[in-house]
Amino acid sequence: MHESSDENWNYNFLKRLVDDVDENRNLLQCIDCGRCVGECPATKISKFNIRKIIRQILRGDKTVLKESDIWYCFLCERCKRVCPRTGINIPILILNLRNESFKKGYGPRYDDLTKYFEMAERFLTSGFVVNNPLDGILPEKRVKELDRICNFARIKYIFDAKYHHPIKLREIFEHKKKKNKEYRDKNGEK
Amino acid sequence: MEKNKLALDIKKIEENFPNNPLEFFKGKKLCLFKACLEKYFPGVRFGIENLLEALGLEVVICENQSCCSGPFFQRNLITRAQFSAINERNLNEIDEIADILLVSCNGCYNSLLRGRDFLKIPEVKDKTEEILKDLDNHMEENKYTEQFKNFDNIDLKIVHDLDFIYLIRNEVAKNLKFDLKGLDVAVHYGCHYLNLDRDKDMETYLKNKTKLEELVALFNGKLVDYSEKELCCGWGASQLVIHPLEALKITYRKLKSAENVKASFILMPCPTCLYTLSKPEFRMKIEELFNDKLEVATIHLNELIAILRGCEAEQCVSLRRQSTRINLIYNIITNNE
Repeated sequence: MHESSDENWNYNFLKRLVDDVDENRNLLQCIDCGRCVGECPATKISKFNIRKIIRQILRGDKTVLKESDIWYCFLCERCKRVCPRTGINIPILILNLRNESFKKGYGPRYDDLTKYFEMAERFLTSGFVVNNPLDGILPEKRVKELDRICNFARIKYIFDAKYHHPIKLREIFEHKKKKNKEYRDKNGEK
Repeated sequence: MEKNKLALDIKKIEENFPNNPLEFFKGKKLCLFKACLEKYFPGVRFGIENLLEALGLEVVICENQSCCSGPFFQRNLITRAQFSAINERNLNEIDEIADILLVSCNGCYNSLLRGRDFLKIPEVKDKTEEILKDLDNHMEENKYTEQFKNFDNIDLKIVHDLDFIYLIRNEVAKNLKFDLKGLDVAVHYGCHYLNLDRDKDMETYLKNKTKLEELVALFNGKLVDYSEKELCCGWGASQLVIHPLEALKITYRKLKSAENVKASFILMPCPTCLYTLSKPEFRMKIEELFNDKLEVATIHLNELIAILRGCEAEQCVSLRRQSTRINLIYNIITNNE
């Protein structure tokens, strides 16, 4: 059976991914033309292939969450512009996929996340992602507001790990991965 | 496609002020959004600030504005509601002191419109409101909650520097001391200007973008086309930080393509693209990886305007780090008098 065959499709995964983004319900209208792939900068330098990813989603193939490819998307929105269909928002789809990947404990590679240590620290202590911004840093009271907004976000865990527990983050990630694997093995999930 | 109410309606200004769109901005307070990467290119801020003041417009900077938080949203390190809350906080702070917000960076511009776009999703809107309410409770103010209730009626309008400069181009041209005669100019829009649909009707979104080309012609320069004009600079939502060896292939491809047509420089409207295409370390890495030394110069539109207006070299080409990037362009242009 061809991978694009309707009989192969399973919309549950798609529904979960696009539940709160109305426009991506139009993903079902994808005609497999490949213009998104042809103009994609990430495709030129990695195995990232948005047409393949859309097929996987439409078939309910959750292995896409494990693949490192999804972390190569440039979020440049070129695919959205060249798509002959209207209302297919691939950049948001990728962000939703990455979110699911995080939740399942796959996430990006730990070493990739560490590159955000400094940026997260600067943002949560000065309001900007660079040291010594052009107009100086944010007043202390406003920095506290940002910190409050970011409560329970992943940026806080990264910041805390960098600031207080340099090796804690790796431990948390590895523990989470192990637990998720145990859960999947127990429940026979892929 | 629903147009974003936050974006300045340029077509309407052109219709209402056909002879001189600058008149629309007279008596209004114009705030300049503080983009993080302007740190490396102070001439980007100076160029627009000095131009506005020369045109008799009032300029303000918002002390309480933070980074747009786009880099964290793009790596799933904050949620959509948190991203929107940071955005609303910034918009409300700026709205208190200004009528129009000018943005020099494609990434910040995308974030400002995207944060507001997310509020069209009821679930995100509710969560954003909850976060701002918590903020007010914690800070013992009703600042953000009260303003958020009326978020759709916020007076503030935002405009990208490129769109603004293009809109008042005839007035800009009258203020120029030098021109681009004898220079071959390649243009780069940047993905989040070129591919963004958030503030545009379908026709404007899909048709070719020509504002930079028209400005080059107005400034008497010769436009050179190159094969990778629409390619990303390589930054790719921090891919250059996370996957530098792969992302630099894109940067190399872009720069090489402009060098192939012997461009004097690449003109762009975004400091993030400028950072990617000009940082000496990236150029050195490219030389090491591809055995090819690329020397094509790069410049932001605001910096170019400052040079063309005859501003002091120290102000429009000031850099935290010395580089021949812009000095060459400066010397060529200012010898054109």
